[in-house]
Amino acid sequence: MEKYFDSTYLWNAFPQILPFLGVTLLVTILAVLLGTLLGLLLAFMKLSPSKISQRIANGYTTIMRCTPSIVLLFLIYYGVPALAESLFSLNLQDVHTGFYVVITFGLQFAAMMSEVIRSSLLAVPKGQYEAAVSVGLTPSKAYMRIIFPQALLFSLPNIGNGIISVLQEGALAYTIGFIDIVGKANLIIANNLNTHTLEIFLALGLIYWLLAISIDQFFALLERKLRVGKDVA
Amino acid sequence: MDTTFFVKALGIAFSGVPIALFVAAIALIIAIPLGFIFALLRLQRVPVLYQFVKIYVSFVRGTPIIIQIFILYSSIPLLLTGIFERYNVPIEVYTIHPLWYAFIIFSFNTTAILAEVFRGALQTVDEGQKEAGYAVGLTTFQVYRRIIIPQMLVAAMPNLCTATVNLIKATSLGYAISLPEITLRTKVAANVGYHYVEAYLAIFIVYLVVCLLVEYGFKIMERKLRRYEGGVIC
Repeated sequence: MEKYFDSTYLWNAFPQILPFLGVTLLVTILAVLLGTLLGLLLAFMKLSPSKISQRIANGYTTIMRCTPSIVLLFLIYYGVPALAESLFSLNLQDVHTGFYVVITFGLQFAAMMSEVIRSSLLAVPKGQYEAAVSVGLTPSKAYMRIIFPQALLFSLPNIGNGIISVLQEGALAYTIGFIDIVGKANLIIANNLNTHTLEIFLALGLIYWLLAISIDQFFALLERKLRVGKDVA
Repeated sequence: MDTTFFVKALGIAFSGVPIALFVAAIALIIAIPLGFIFALLRLQRVPVLYQFVKIYVSFVRGTPIIIQIFILYSSIPLLLTGIFERYNVPIEVYTIHPLWYAFIIFSFNTTAILAEVFRGALQTVDEGQKEAGYAVGLTTFQVYRRIIIPQMLVAAMPNLCTATVNLIKATSLGYAISLPEITLRTKVAANVGYHYVEAYLAIFIVYLVVCLLVEYGFKIMERKLRRYEGGVIC
């Protein structure tokens, strides 16, 4: 009788899955970059005096918070080509699935980041800006040198959590046929004729767990390093 | 865009709401007390159990839910087969309804999330509150029941709301265990005529409505829990 659980499958899975780690990380990084840019824009809209732009930015965040990743992913995957076809008669058939993955998780990360950026900017006392301007800095210099560095320090733990969550939500990319570490794991299972699924998924779980812990530690270290100036003052 | 199918898809998606909410409710009923106990174990630093909770929470927070579903969904049948064979339980493992798996999987996930939520909330309650409770002669149970928990709940409410919304969103992954909830039902209906855009638009709207209602419900509950706060004279 065959063993139910065979740990050799677990160990053999790592060398097969790990080459695809680069794909997972690349998609995460691109989504984070896209999300940060859009998140900055949304944060400024939320802080702007205009009621309309506040509404739009807050509405966007609410909608993103309420949509499951898998629904957003498929909505983008099917919706964007359909829209491009009907509006601009563009054919997006040959676009790589990675494109949709980056767009989806970028949009999601933007909603998270807009809140993170907004709250960290509000956390910097107003007096800091006034003091900077009073010693002769221009408003833009005051933001670049005084406000942003302090806000960044406030937001570091949340940025770390946000990146971990993009990485985790990105695990769903396999559902639209994207081959990252999860996609590869599913291919291995298909090759094994759907046996020993548990071992492969455990390997996958371990990889994600280690990644999350590393990101966590990295941000904790970064925070300690950046806090140095704070303690002296 | 096929409007008639879109309307039909909205109906199908709404028909999946009860099962999604049912799974979420059961998961919360299991996870709230368990999560609270785990939070206490961690704060009181109970040896061995404290380490166990820490690793468990770290695992759940460190891995995607879909991977947790995969792992549990492939390991529970193995465990059950072993147990059933040993004790001669005449149940075929592969006939177990996916709802049972959903209960286990989502409780497993939510317990860890709530353990963290409650840990944070418990830390906001001042230690002096507990001492004051003891000083007037309350038992430990009474101190928690009447002093600590009511104050902790107020602090926990916003995160509890986020956790509940995330839980309901996570049930959209029920397809992986063939649970016929909102997403899976609508997707199956869309397979017939490739009406995927309409189907996912309908699913999107249904989740939006459910989520906004849940958030509104939590806001009302939070206001109720806060009703004692205003009258404190310092």
